[in-house]
Amino acid sequence: MASLKRSHALDPLAANISSKIYVRSTKSGKVQKIVREVYLRQDIPCSSRLCHSCPKNAPSSAAGKPIPFVLSEAPAGTSTFPQGHYLVPDTNAFLTAMDLFEQESAFYDVIVPQIVLEELRNRSLPLYNRLISLTKSEEKRFHVFFNEFRLETYVPRREGETVNDRNDRAVRKTVAWYAEHLAQTKAKKVPAVVMLSNDRENLRKAKEEGIHAFSMADYVKQLKDGDKLLDMIPEIEDRDDVKEKRLGGNLYPEYFSMSKMMTGVKNGLLHQGIFNVSPYNYLEGSIRVPAFPKALLILGRENINRSIDGDLVVVEVLPKDQWKEPSTQIIEEDAITKNENPDADDAEDVVSAKERKALQEEVKRAHSKTTEGHAQPTARVVGVIKRNWRQYVGHIDQSSVSQSAQQGRKQDTVFVIPMDKKIPKILLRTRQVAELLGKRILVTIDAWDRSSRHPVGHFVRNLGELETKQAETEALLLEYDVQYRPFPKTVLDCLPKEGHDWRVPQNLDDPGWKDREDLRHLNICSIDPIGCQDIDDALHSKPLPNGNFEVGVHIADVSHFVKPNNAMDTEASIRATSVYLVDKRIDMLPMLLGTDLCSLKPYVERYAFSVIWELTPDADIVSSKFTKSVIKSREAFSYEQAQLRVDDDSQQDDLTKSIRILMALSKKLKQKRLDAGALSLSSPEVKVQMESETSDPIDVKTKVLLDTMSLVEEFMLLANTSVARRIHEAFPQTAILRRHGAPPKTNFDELANQLKVKKGLDLSVESSRALADSLDRCVDPKESFFNTLIRIMATRCMMSAEYFCSGTQAYPEFRHYGLASEIYTHFTSPIRRYADLVAHRQLAAAIEYEPVHPSVRSRGKLEAVCKNINVRHRNAQLAGRASIAYYVGQALRGKATEEDGFVMKIFSNGFVVLVPRFGIESLIRLRDLAEMEPQAEFDAETYTLKTSGSREVTVELFQKVRVRVTDQKDETTGKRGVKMELVSTY
Amino acid sequence: MPLDTSTYSLALLRVDGRRWNELRRLHAQIRTQAAADGSSYLEMGHTKVMCVVTGPSEPGPRRGGGIGGGAGGQSKDAEVVVNIVIAGFSSVDRKRRGRGDKRTQEMQSTVANALAASLHTHLFPHSQINVSLHVLSQDGSLLAALINAATLACVDAGIPMTDYVAACTAGSTSTYAANDESADPLLDLNHQEEQELPSLTVATLGDSDRVVVLVCESRVQISRLEGMLAVGVDGCKQVRELLDRVVREKGQRMILEGTVEKGTGLNDLD
Repeated sequence: MASLKRSHALDPLAANISSKIYVRSTKSGKVQKIVREVYLRQDIPCSSRLCHSCPKNAPSSAAGKPIPFVLSEAPAGTSTFPQGHYLVPDTNAFLTAMDLFEQESAFYDVIVPQIVLEELRNRSLPLYNRLISLTKSEEKRFHVFFNEFRLETYVPRREGETVNDRNDRAVRKTVAWYAEHLAQTKAKKVPAVVMLSNDRENLRKAKEEGIHAFSMADYVKQLKDGDKLLDMIPEIEDRDDVKEKRLGGNLYPEYFSMSKMMTGVKNGLLHQGIFNVSPYNYLEGSIRVPAFPKALLILGRENINRSIDGDLVVVEVLPKDQWKEPSTQIIEEDAITKNENPDADDAEDVVSAKERKALQEEVKRAHSKTTEGHAQPTARVVGVIKRNWRQYVGHIDQSSVSQSAQQGRKQDTVFVIPMDKKIPKILLRTRQVAELLGKRILVTIDAWDRSSRHPVGHFVRNLGELETKQAETEALLLEYDVQYRPFPKTVLDCLPKEGHDWRVPQNLDDPGWKDREDLRHLNICSIDPIGCQDIDDALHSKPLPNGNFEVGVHIADVSHFVKPNNAMDTEASIRATSVYLVDKRIDMLPMLLGTDLCSLKPYVERYAFSVIWELTPDADIVSSKFTKSVIKSREAFSYEQAQLRVDDDSQQDDLTKSIRILMALSKKLKQKRLDAGALSLSSPEVKVQMESETSDPIDVKTKVLLDTMSLVEEFMLLANTSVARRIHEAFPQTAILRRHGAPPKTNFDELANQLKVKKGLDLSVESSRALADSLDRCVDPKESFFNTLIRIMATRCMMSAEYFCSGTQAYPEFRHYGLASEIYTHFTSPIRRYADLVAHRQLAAAIEYEPVHPSVRSRGKLEAVCKNINVRHRNAQLAGRASIAYYVGQALRGKATEEDGFVMKIFSNGFVVLVPRFGIESLIRLRDLAEMEPQAEFDAETYTLKTSGSREVTVELFQKVRVRVTDQKDETTGKRGVKMELVSTY
Repeated sequence: MPLDTSTYSLALLRVDGRRWNELRRLHAQIRTQAAADGSSYLEMGHTKVMCVVTGPSEPGPRRGGGIGGGAGGQSKDAEVVVNIVIAGFSSVDRKRRGRGDKRTQEMQSTVANALAASLHTHLFPHSQINVSLHVLSQDGSLLAALINAATLACVDAGIPMTDYVAACTAGSTSTYAANDESADPLLDLNHQEEQELPSLTVATLGDSDRVVVLVCESRVQISRLEGMLAVGVDGCKQVRELLDRVVREKGQRMILEGTVEKGTGLNDLD
């Protein structure tokens, strides 16, 4: 019987074969024993240009290209090694001081042992990727020496030796081998080989073995500009300390049980509300609860306890000694967690050292404050009632990706950075990292366990390359949950069969004419922005014999085409609103209706819903009438055209005269409104100019306000108010109305205080009238924009207006704060808003044009509709703004301009500047001010930030500053954004 | 731990320390089971397989992947029946594979095809050659190892054949997705590499460039295929040399030990 057992002695290669045996545990908890072959060899070059023996057997690739030798023949010296030296850092050195190695002044000719590279990859992928890019840069001369495969430097693990100790020994062996190897070169000046380590034990053993070894600090001291670099070495963490923290398996506190939360909320011990994250500090959230006038602060990861912006959570108020001031610091997730490793989710404590440091500063500040009054009550999240998770658009964090994942089809864990800054990074497992890198992707959150620092999600869809118009637009639409797919066939089936050939029937006996007034003889025209296709409204006016005026507002009769509860109606109620992006419009109704059959185009007859008033010359309403009608618009003007016509005295035709009447009346209406306390608020609005053919953005213009705009606006407001009264009268319980709540006084506290301190101005907020008046007084004679700035800031303190069903609120609550109107609804844009369509149906029923449809009378259904359209409306606005922001960024691409800006907000480590020219605001951090971050002193009382050191400036709130606006693509996030640099202060 | 192919370009070293054109250590023995008609044991790195050949003999009940000959062995050619058993302990995770495993079946038929191309089956009509392969340990290039072991066992069984069927795998240093034009071809992939990188198994007949088996189950750019194939064929020649040496050494020893009549002549073996 032959034996299968082979004797190693017979094998000539036996000495060169070793194996790596290790045990690993899989995600599912299985323990696997892995055995790998290792082939040891002697042809791994030292890569020093001094060496004569290594190039002889240096390897070459299949194409015959050899690897160049990188280490210099005359490396730089230090005070201890005048003859020059090569560096061999261990893993710790890279982990703690990677920034140092990237310095240009020092750290050249570095030998990176393979074992160090591998260890680094297991500890921190981002650092590993940085090291790899260093080895690829030619000037830094980093060489990876494969010590594990070289026969002489391979060290088998000893009995009872820890992996760390063995690896340290391997590094020392490498250093020793290099020293010996270089000595054989017989060069005149043999460079020293110096090990860098922060591990005391390793250094001690190196000394014993007679190897040059230094700690980072000791080594840096020997360098020429050592003092400067010394600051960059972080304090060494105590190893044991770290280990202890790791023991706790769960990072977050457990949630309370549902019943415990419910009873707590009932007793008033716990509070329930929607969790909001601060846009400037991802570790700070706030929650508004009915029990307190002011929002409760939630600070820090542990207190936030896995809640995500928008979640309905239950919180517990913390004891008073933990109350804090809201942060005056900008803390961005990107900056702090940049080097986290997505695979090592169990490795660290929930609050990383850096985060703890950032929060520590906060606490220090809060404690140093003598004024107790500033501290705000804080709370911690004890449970989540309802998650507000949705699909998030984002992109993969380049630095969290391992090299192998970029290539392989193996499952890998990476971070996804959502577009929405308020959403934390999401851990994503994917097999297609390579395809997804640099793409906009859609992901959802699946879960957030106590043991995981970040929420875990999965990949949904790839939207395309970052920064392409298509992908970014789709990303926007998805991010704001805009329904943008083409209309399904069932919806299109509801359209009139005649299509574009549909005409108002000529025969007056046609059922379409029933109860419709023939207004075709009136001089009706429409005034809209340039290029407007969906014309919802048209106007007319004529003098009456009694000296009064007849004024008519004619709104597209959408309800004639969209019958309740058919597929088209359902689709429209889901979409709720048309969405206007810079280069695209997402319609609520199919094109055929929106831009043709309903649109009140000139020269053709159209069905309309008309509101006709008799107004006195002082614009008081004598009588009003609502009727379905047929109109024929004489002309479709743009605002500019109409303005020119009004201003041109030579134009004396009926149409122009009628616009002039409207103009005069609108001014009176506006004055009345302002007298009643309507606010004229402001938001920085800009328009992106596109090149007509390629539709690439070329310039940004601020919007000009014309009288004709306010003309149209006034009459629309008048129509809306009149209709609101009428439908409320007919349906006291179920009218669809719009209200704007009075903002809580506390909302203005901050702004009022800022105005008082900085400008000595008072802001009174007792009523909208008082607010309007005090806003008018907020002027700076030297700076005309100051008033607008204050208005912009005041706008942000407001509540948002909302649709509601009249039965859900008491009459006084109907009030529209901003417009100072008792009652208000939306009636005038049924093509692009669903609420208007409902109002149309209700008005039609109120004037007994058609029987009341059950859907417009059912309160439950209306409430659901209101809830949906409120959300959609808000999202549509945000999407529109985001689209403008994106195009502004694209328009600025490659350009650098200096603009005036104003300081809107100030933090202890940065400030926010608004540039009115582009309507953009951006953060300028202290570290952006100069190469070395300047020291800064922040005075929260006077809102002043004074920097010293590398750059000395004083920045105050409301100050006018000169900034350079450029575009910048953030390399880690792949986002293009506007970057501002402070040029000078005025 | 994921295979990090990025380090390859740093020093042209693979994960186990080999160069692109190096085979793993190949160790083989023949006549490991005295009772069998032919037997062999073969290691390619940590891939270990054992082969036993029975026959040519009268055909038994049909099973496994048979090639050549018709039903019931009534044809003029001998039928090659290959049966592969993968031991549960052969991979990292203990796993039972049933007899009906599709991958195993495919390998059986591939090995049977390869052997049928080289064996002179027409010399043994109405008979059957049974090849039993046992996989003891897996670390990549399994199919290649199976073909090589079967070849050796057939040589040991004394079945006339045209030449050795020598097999090995070839791959490429970067993945399909990476689409790296300058990727080096690789020879003889281990398990880690096989999981990540595009690979193919190629077998040639003896010293010639005649390819008898070519299996590629991964996606790879067509431009890279030529290089991979060339390296693979080259590897097959190296493998043939190694197999040939094993056979010759065994033969020499058998003559020295007197198992074989001296008359055959030691010199004839060279």
